[in-house]
Amino acid sequence: MRKIITALVVLPLIGRLALAAEDAKQPGTPATNEEIRFFETKIRPLLANHCNDCHGEDLQESDLRLDSLAGILNGGKAGPAIVPGKPKRSLLLTAVGYQDNDLKMPPDDKLSDRQVQDLTRWIEMGAPHPDSGKVKVARPQNQVDLEAGRKHWAFQPLNKSAVPKLATPTENPIDAFIGERLEQQGLRPLGAADKRTLIRRATFDLIGLPPTPAEIDAFLADDSEDAFARVVDRLLSSPHYGERWGRHWLDVARYADSNGLDENVAHGNAWRYRDYVVNAFNNDKPYDEFVVEQLAGDLLDSGDDWKLRNERLTATGYLVLGPKVLAEVDKAKMKMDIVDEQLDTVGRSLMGLTLGCARCHTHKFDPIGHDDYYALAGIFKSTRTMETFKTVAKWYENSIPTSEELARKEQHQQSIDQKKHTIETLVATAKSELKPPMGETVPQDVEKRFPEETQAKLKKLREELKQLETNAPQVSTAMGVTDGEIADTSIHLRGSHLTLGEVVPRRFPRVLAGDDQPPISSDQSGRLAFAQWLTNDSNPLTARVMVNRIWRWHFGKGLVETVDNFGLQGKPPTHPELLDWLAVRFVESGWSIKAMHRLIMASEAYQRQSGFDAQNTEIDVANNSYWRFDVQRLNAEAIRDALLAVSGTLDPTLGGSLLQLKNHEFVFNHTSQDKSEYLSIRRRSIYVPVIRNHLYDMFQLFDYTDASVLNGDRETSTIAPQALFLMNSELVDQLTTAMAERLLEQEPTETDRITQLFALAYGRPATSEEITRASQFLTRFQALMPEQTDASKTQAWQALCQAIVSSSEFIHVR
Amino acid sequence: MFSRRQLLQRCSAGFGSLALASMLADETRAANSPNKTGEFDSPHIPAKAKRVIFLFMKGGPSHMDTFDYKPQLQKDDKKPLPFEKPRVQFAPTGELLASPWKFKQYGESGIRVSELFPHVAECVDDLCIINSLHGTNPAHGGASLKLHTGSDTFVRPSMGAWVNYGLGTENANLPGFITICPTLAHGGTKNWSSAFLPAAYSGTPLGNASLSSEEARVKYIQNARLSRDAQRLQLDFTQTLNRDFQEQTGPDAALDARIKSFELAFRMQTEMPAALDLAAETQATQELYGLNDERTADFGRQCLMARRFAERGVRFVQITHSNTEVQWDQHGNLRKGHEQNAGEVDKPIAGLLRDLKARGLLEDTLVLWGGEFGRTPTCQGKGHDGRDHNPEGFTMWLAGGGVKTGIQYGATDAYGYYATENKVHIHDLHATMLHLLGLDHLRLTYRHAGRDFRLTDVAGHVVHDIIA
Repeated sequence: MRKIITALVVLPLIGRLALAAEDAKQPGTPATNEEIRFFETKIRPLLANHCNDCHGEDLQESDLRLDSLAGILNGGKAGPAIVPGKPKRSLLLTAVGYQDNDLKMPPDDKLSDRQVQDLTRWIEMGAPHPDSGKVKVARPQNQVDLEAGRKHWAFQPLNKSAVPKLATPTENPIDAFIGERLEQQGLRPLGAADKRTLIRRATFDLIGLPPTPAEIDAFLADDSEDAFARVVDRLLSSPHYGERWGRHWLDVARYADSNGLDENVAHGNAWRYRDYVVNAFNNDKPYDEFVVEQLAGDLLDSGDDWKLRNERLTATGYLVLGPKVLAEVDKAKMKMDIVDEQLDTVGRSLMGLTLGCARCHTHKFDPIGHDDYYALAGIFKSTRTMETFKTVAKWYENSIPTSEELARKEQHQQSIDQKKHTIETLVATAKSELKPPMGETVPQDVEKRFPEETQAKLKKLREELKQLETNAPQVSTAMGVTDGEIADTSIHLRGSHLTLGEVVPRRFPRVLAGDDQPPISSDQSGRLAFAQWLTNDSNPLTARVMVNRIWRWHFGKGLVETVDNFGLQGKPPTHPELLDWLAVRFVESGWSIKAMHRLIMASEAYQRQSGFDAQNTEIDVANNSYWRFDVQRLNAEAIRDALLAVSGTLDPTLGGSLLQLKNHEFVFNHTSQDKSEYLSIRRRSIYVPVIRNHLYDMFQLFDYTDASVLNGDRETSTIAPQALFLMNSELVDQLTTAMAERLLEQEPTETDRITQLFALAYGRPATSEEITRASQFLTRFQALMPEQTDASKTQAWQALCQAIVSSSEFIHVR
Repeated sequence: MFSRRQLLQRCSAGFGSLALASMLADETRAANSPNKTGEFDSPHIPAKAKRVIFLFMKGGPSHMDTFDYKPQLQKDDKKPLPFEKPRVQFAPTGELLASPWKFKQYGESGIRVSELFPHVAECVDDLCIINSLHGTNPAHGGASLKLHTGSDTFVRPSMGAWVNYGLGTENANLPGFITICPTLAHGGTKNWSSAFLPAAYSGTPLGNASLSSEEARVKYIQNARLSRDAQRLQLDFTQTLNRDFQEQTGPDAALDARIKSFELAFRMQTEMPAALDLAAETQATQELYGLNDERTADFGRQCLMARRFAERGVRFVQITHSNTEVQWDQHGNLRKGHEQNAGEVDKPIAGLLRDLKARGLLEDTLVLWGGEFGRTPTCQGKGHDGRDHNPEGFTMWLAGGGVKTGIQYGATDAYGYYATENKVHIHDLHATMLHLLGLDHLRLTYRHAGRDFRLTDVAGHVVHDIIA
């Protein structure tokens, strides 16, 4: 009981009902006769005539009864119907006031203004009722049991597990954890993959491209112990590494080059955030820093370092990239919807928590209270994400001038100052030369008395000044945030901004941060403090969630399968000790992602064969214990990039924007005219504009992220339209034609060409049987052509190349 | 080895995937009737409808000018609205605007329909007109998303995706959800996406609103260069490679599915064009849909395609009427705009209803007509000739699929601003549609991001009064 009382004091929301009960003239304060008379004459008949048919003895819509005080105070599904003494917080008044589109009561006939006034008055009086003082109000159902909640594995502190000691000692601790489980289950892991398989696996994994025949040969020729480690190092220092792993992060950041949702306008500067992410991965920016910059880069002190400052401002684009209903007419709703989107993204991407579930009510499964949600919402509501809410609304962008732009701006300012100075001097001189006024009608405007010549000169100078001022040099901008109007936010009952409850001070979820939290200062949004709290070494979720993501992107599945949900509805880890050991190691290594790659890729688990074993399959068909390396299909980007690479047409240029639209320009207006053009692009897939609601169809076919909501665990589907794309699309036709022409030009004989084709596409030589079959195919195919010409020969080769790149071996890694 | 749900999630996405999933399911399960590839083996409720054809009037047709006759409005032209306008409006509006069109009673039911829809009016005894629809969002994007997905706030699966998730497909060689010439604005693909449902259930677009329906095709359905024989030869070679690879990796459901997916793709290359071959229809049928008239030909083709897909077992077909300018969105030029729009769709829709009925298809096909909202009885723009968006009260009609016929259900106020009597929210419409298809909207759920989701979110009531 004492605990509950403390909770009431600390947390107004949780005590809401109990407090309400106190206000409601109880216990022991029955209503006066006059008050009862008011109820009996004004309120009871009103309820009986307009409400009780659906909320009375016979029917209890939404579990609500209004024919007794107990019913009114306990409320229904949406919470208590009234808060005695507090009309503004009473749902009943929201409903009868028709303020909320989703909650208008009575549904068919609005009450008269007089009736609404009576109800308001009655609630102000404290809801007097013959039963006042006799009613027991049930404890609210939405109370969070924090003590129980903290027992959930994901909320426990990180525990540096002891590395298991196995009979056959392992070099890499990962293999000790994996090995222990394999032993327990009686599984015999497969042996190491051959070098060709391994370099193809590692190259696609780290840079998203196939290894070249020369790279394969070099690896085969390197007999040293650390040959593979050197391959890994080479790949990690390639700028293409950031393109591959940065793209993984963009899935989590729901990156897109357009808004999508209702008004699909261009995110003209989103690419700056994308390039920031690619660079961050290439530079192995410590993950804690990476997180802080994205949440609060604008609040970090970068001193005079303009590059650093711009980089950090750009990082906050992460908070702005979400889809928004830009034509939302209800501006207050839009503001809250944006905060909700941010919280949902922050929760699932960084914390593995479905915070969004607590928007309308206390989380049904996780120990996240409705108040926890609005405590965090206050932080983001105190953050400025929008430039304007006026339809079509515009998001905020920070100025990120380069040094040249700054110089140009400064120069421009100087010109303005100079011009102003000239004007002032001229005016002063002219004034001093004026003769004292004569006569009685002296013009008010002194300048009218200047010599005409001077007046003309002044006019010209002022026009020039105006010209200058309106032609200020453009400065680069990046989507991002800044602190806005700082304030705590009210709990939104049922998630609606029209029914506000208690104001909750800004703070972090209690299940993790405890009940005793230092208050967030009233001159800061709290974003920086939040980011620092998230990346504090003792926060268990941040490191766990990220190492699990890294594992997922290497192995195709996480140690925690539900990579974006570590809550009670998520899956528990298959190897909890390994997960914690990795998380601790991650923090100890200075949050270095590249260090994690080196560690994981050096393990036997990573380097195993992907073959079949009947006995193991019987015990562990899903390979949850890692007795083999799973065959993985390439993702959409890698399929396209590999096609470009083997056709010799890949343009490896890094960074920049290919978006053909100006910032804020509509992708689609009323016309639905599709102006997107993807076919001619030869740059890597990460640079192909990500247009929400209209993704490149090739990407969509191969399970690209939806780009509107984050996704750390893309599906891998197998469907007929993928086959249709490979069989019939112009892109595959063009690229395989380029392949065919290249082979015909560069290789002298048919056998050489076939050999080279296999080397490029599969990273291995063709067997003699394969050479024969390919050769037979060429002959038969050409025989089907009406004429035997050079063109028909090229087409036969094109058909062969198309078959090769359509095959499973090309689009899977073993 | 896999549950069906896992199988569907792993081996499916988009057009044709259901078919593939069903192919795989065929092999793993002994008895498999064709309509049981959805997530639920038997319907929740006895089904009255097997499929849906949704005729979407993009932009928001005016109910007071079509199917919701308002005598008081006709009397009070140019007077002020005598009650309050909604708290949230799309844009300011002025005085009342009487309908420029005359209404007449039709059929045995004697329901009044305006002269904008003379042909549909002849079918009025087959219609179930709901005059009391209401939604929540007064902007096109939000309202369209609300209508198609049940949410104007979050990314959610579209109703066609839910229906396919619940019921599966009846034809293994065609997609289960087709949307013809959809608009790419105002939600675009979100209006037919599967969101977090398995991608198998997402809609397959044919063309888009900026293209003529003659150009509405599934992408990549044909090879521009290869003869069928040449492509078959090539496919045989690819499949040899695929089997070789699978031999090295051992039995693998996904690789197996991949080999089958190529064969299915090859079959689809003939099935889809056959379904779209409107020349196979008789002259009389073509004329019934208005294919012989330039004005009606474009939408007529869409209606005819819809019937051909429906009879081939496609679960959910949406067709969209949306010209390349402002669609039904007459903030101004109401007279001209609505006359043109109605003129383009009236005959084809009547043709579709008659044709479905004649073929016995109307019994188990639910036809749904409407826009994302209605329009205000108050006037907007120059010349007393425009109406604003109005989600507070509007009209949609249903036909076939087990709904009552020749009735009007619910009502708006005297002017048509607010739904007042027997109000039907978009969520209620969804609940009712699912009910007619044999699905309980409370039980048609999908677990995602830690909780169960529904098309109707936490709302929705089945409107039993309109069910026959």
